[in-house]
Amino acid sequence: MTDAPLPRRAVPGRAIIHLNVADFAVAVERGLDMRLCRRPVIIAAQAAARAIVYDMSEEAFSAGVRKGMPLWRAQKFCRDAHVLPPKPDRYERAMRHLFAKALPYAPRVELVDDKGHLFLDVTGTGRLLGRPEDIAWKIRKEVRKDFGFDPVWSVAPNKLLAKVATRIVKPLGEYIVEEGEEEEFLKPIPVAFIPGIEKPDITQMFEFNLKKAGDLLHWNAAQLEAVFQNRARHIYEAVRGIDPSPVLSVDEAAPVVNVDHPFGEDTNDAAILEAALYVCVEKAGGELRRRRLAAGRVGVTLDYTDGVRVSRAALGETATAVDPALFRVAMKAVALAWRRRVRIRHLKLVCDRLCYPPSQVELFADNEYRNCRENKLVCAIDAIRMKFGEQAVFFGRTFNSTRKW
Amino acid sequence: MQYPQIKQGAILVGTSGYSYADWMEYGFYPAGTKSAKMLPLYAEHFRITELNNTWYQMPKADATARRLALVPEKFLFTVKLTRSLTHEVEPEFWARRAAEFRAGIAPLQQAGRLLAVLMQLPPSFTRTLENRRYLGNLMAALEGVPLAVEFRHKSWADDHVFAELEKRRVTLVAVDEPPLPNLFPPLDVVTNPALFYVRFHGRNSGGWHSGNMQKQFDYDYAAAELEEWIEKRIGLMARKSAVGVLFFNNHVRAQAPNNALLMMHLLRQRGLETG
Repeated sequence: MTDAPLPRRAVPGRAIIHLNVADFAVAVERGLDMRLCRRPVIIAAQAAARAIVYDMSEEAFSAGVRKGMPLWRAQKFCRDAHVLPPKPDRYERAMRHLFAKALPYAPRVELVDDKGHLFLDVTGTGRLLGRPEDIAWKIRKEVRKDFGFDPVWSVAPNKLLAKVATRIVKPLGEYIVEEGEEEEFLKPIPVAFIPGIEKPDITQMFEFNLKKAGDLLHWNAAQLEAVFQNRARHIYEAVRGIDPSPVLSVDEAAPVVNVDHPFGEDTNDAAILEAALYVCVEKAGGELRRRRLAAGRVGVTLDYTDGVRVSRAALGETATAVDPALFRVAMKAVALAWRRRVRIRHLKLVCDRLCYPPSQVELFADNEYRNCRENKLVCAIDAIRMKFGEQAVFFGRTFNSTRKW
Repeated sequence: MQYPQIKQGAILVGTSGYSYADWMEYGFYPAGTKSAKMLPLYAEHFRITELNNTWYQMPKADATARRLALVPEKFLFTVKLTRSLTHEVEPEFWARRAAEFRAGIAPLQQAGRLLAVLMQLPPSFTRTLENRRYLGNLMAALEGVPLAVEFRHKSWADDHVFAELEKRRVTLVAVDEPPLPNLFPPLDVVTNPALFYVRFHGRNSGGWHSGNMQKQFDYDYAAAELEEWIEKRIGLMARKSAVGVLFFNNHVRAQAPNNALLMMHLLRQRGLETG
């Protein structure tokens, strides 16, 4: 067994506020049209041939509608739903207003995504602004008054705990997690609620009858590594509520995950490019999962032999950190970028629009989405690699890459 | 309601809330104390606290039970009623919120460690028919829970109100606050023979309406001001009630615990029992 991962220490004295407007797109639409209040609403591009659900109201969620579900299926679950087309510009504008409202209250405000999530680091502002919960309540009051949204809020010693706290009180409410009670707070929380614990992890945990964060607290780092290998450190920290990641203010670069792949020989062979791309995706996926984030967008940059550089990006249906899903989005970006016959010298993969991955609670529901099959596949591969080593099995599509086996 | 764990005639002193980061800076807690470790340290000085972050968040039974486990068995609590029942009342949902609140504080009540639930009503809550009805309904919804009501508007300073509180065995909270127009005046009226309850908010007239708690509750009581309270009101109230509680809400710069300790000293000097 290799050395056990060393857990990082929590940064003392931090106070992080998480504001989350539940079902943000629906909340924005309801702010503009009060008639939509208290009736099921689905946001989906109805005109598209294979429209999928972009967002839905709590009423539609209760009826079984989920993000990413085909619209025809969603409408079967919720026949009286009012369907509206998505208006990303409108939601981005609303997010900017929300962000502006929070700015006076904290030196660092992080705009996580355009889905109604904000983190505020109010550490050390007590003398000026008072207690963190008072700040959170004031922002919520202003947002409610000005925009008609009623954000869920939490105060916690780090982003991970703040995020879990808002997840457990959604769609309405608040939660204060005190510094020092991280483990006690997380103990009864289902592992699916913890950001960055992905479906393959959960499937594996269920095989060991580990369902709540508290079930994993008895496992030390070495034991976790024996089962979860390179995910062990991440899981060890997550179930203990350790997350030293900073709240990034707007003047700091948005977080991205980059992976470079220089070709040994310049190539224009599709199979080789695809193989290299998948290797990059596996690396990026691993890094995203380690950081408990998911990518909303995947970009590729191709450097051609003649010095020309082309960059293109594609959006995923939902933010993900699962390799096959990332690969699909990356292939879309490649299709946009690779329009020349000239050989390629260098490939760069960029995952951005990072956010906390959606809660994995749908695992418990009776669903049969494509993702499920992929996750089973990833789990199976992980299990084989866990037993026989990293190089025991690999995707055929990576066979042509320059990786050494 | 009687409180068997407290000596008859005792006056317990504490602070409104105990988890303030700047109390470390001003020496009440050692530097680096985590929030969750503050309550046991606080309990080394005081026998009671007023949980006030329950105003911001609906209390949850598991979190309440965790708090209970942190302090000695004789330590008592009062709990501030959540804002969705006092300041942000939604007619459709308040009854459900009241039930949630009761469930959230149940561990304290079941353990016999809940002295009172503090219903602090905002200055905008004036004595109208509608508000009187709401208050009556709210008290009915919280029946069985020991209640203390703090008014912020002077319209409630009326004998009819006091008589009704007396009938319901609800404690009227006496307040010390700046002498500003329309605020509820400092009184020594006792409406519940089981308990009297005083809150010291400080007398920072300039900061009171600032909207910033750091200014509103920034005040350091002089010994003479506290002595005046004891002489004029507390002694009298103690004679009419079995138990009394005094809470300091001037939390800025750890003035609340310092003033609370001073108050305990002054009470003992006069031979009054502080629990």
